[in-house]
Amino acid sequence: MPQQRFPKVEILNIAPHFIQFILSETDTSMANALRRIMIAEVPTLAIDLVEYAENSSVLNDEYIAHRLGLIPIRYTPEGSLKGGDCHAAFLPHRECVCFDRCVRCSVEFELDVNFDKVNSTRPDQERDLALTVTSRNLTSNNMLVAPAHFLNEEEQDESHDEGISIVKLGPGQHLKLKAIARMGISKEHAKWCPVAVATYRFWPIITINQEACNMLTLEQKQELVDACPDRILELDEITGNLVAVENAYEMATFTEDLKVAQNAMKKRPEDDDFVRVVQSTDRFVFSVESTGAMDAEEILMSALRVLKDRLNYLAAEVEKLKD
Amino acid sequence: MSVNEVKIKRAEIPFELRGTGPPTSRTFVLGDEDHTLGNALRHVLIQDPRVNFAGYCVPHPSEPVVHLRVQTNATATSGGVSGRKNHGRSGRNEEDDDDSDEEEIVGGLTEEGSTSFTAIDALKDACRTLSQQCEYVLEQLEVAMPEVRVDRERLKRLEEDMFLEKEKPGEMDEEELMEDMEE
Repeated sequence: MPQQRFPKVEILNIAPHFIQFILSETDTSMANALRRIMIAEVPTLAIDLVEYAENSSVLNDEYIAHRLGLIPIRYTPEGSLKGGDCHAAFLPHRECVCFDRCVRCSVEFELDVNFDKVNSTRPDQERDLALTVTSRNLTSNNMLVAPAHFLNEEEQDESHDEGISIVKLGPGQHLKLKAIARMGISKEHAKWCPVAVATYRFWPIITINQEACNMLTLEQKQELVDACPDRILELDEITGNLVAVENAYEMATFTEDLKVAQNAMKKRPEDDDFVRVVQSTDRFVFSVESTGAMDAEEILMSALRVLKDRLNYLAAEVEKLKD
Repeated sequence: MSVNEVKIKRAEIPFELRGTGPPTSRTFVLGDEDHTLGNALRHVLIQDPRVNFAGYCVPHPSEPVVHLRVQTNATATSGGVSGRKNHGRSGRNEEDDDDSDEEEIVGGLTEEGSTSFTAIDALKDACRTLSQQCEYVLEQLEVAMPEVRVDRERLKRLEEDMFLEKEKPGEMDEEELMEDMEE
């Protein structure tokens, strides 16, 4: 297609569970499509069926099943440490040719905790206190799949828990179940959502009219700096000029306060603005925070792949049309 | 199968073409889609100078259906500078001037059929363009993060192992396309 623009990506900040990047030279429609897919249509694993052998805990079966479903399940491909994309390794269970379930479409977890059996092994000060059944007690039949107990190392160090708590057991209580995890997308149920937060904001274009600003006194300039609740402006110490803050993109929320303050200062209403803050129409700052099931950049790449596959499928369908 | 299996409800019509008259104006009915694809495709279609009109709607929020309307300039592919304009609704979404009353017949007539740029061609082009843009972003991410390339190659090998029977649209084709475009 003539006059095609290709989007550019620039990574600002990256951690295993979080990525912040700039997507530019594209339109809000593409940015929004990416955001919607990251939230709703990236395939992940989550517990879908629970079969109980024994449950004498204080919570009933479906309550525990609901909690188990919300535990993020991490798939790490062989030889890698990253929480990876599971859609190549597993088939959606509705498309699998097996009768009920098999290794290719599901992962089985087993949980068997008996308070009385565990009690004897506990140190004296903890004996007879409530026993927390956590995600650590889930044992998987697939080596590459395990629950994501913590978001990252930091959380693991700070936490007093051993994992995600499921239920607490008292004396004489026993919980034994088999949980089957399957692949799905968030559109079907929110437990399959790989992100905690996936948002984008517009890049602020801050233009400062220095000639007009030179006519302002220092107090007036300080007033402008204070007028904005986001504090995206500051006074340069040496020259006394108004200047935009370094990380203005993180804080800008495009309020009207600056405009109102400037209108009060202008000698005539038709004068040029001293400072203009405008939303960019083709530059976006994305922030994606994962739940722990996949690494943040994997979520982004998976979303792009999902979009690409959808488009290729649509193109194939259109190709088959005979007008 | 388990007693409590959940069946997902699919849209009634997975894909349909609607519209009579010249092949330059068509409505595409996409099932199991929403604003995600609808808005992105509409935007790419509008960017194409050969497209006169492109719009999408979601008829009802309870149903996962998207209607995508495309109307192209009949003279596009033949390279003619001017020619018969589309009857009926015309004019780009973004421009405000409405010249549907004018029907200029300047220069020669276009050749109908294979050389005119149909609505279907426009949609195919838009899908391909958007797909290329996604591929481009993926490549950039790989460049930015080298460990991602290793993972992707492993994923590709896994995919090939798992789906030997099915024919996958090769990522290689698009990569070659990309290299051609960059050169």
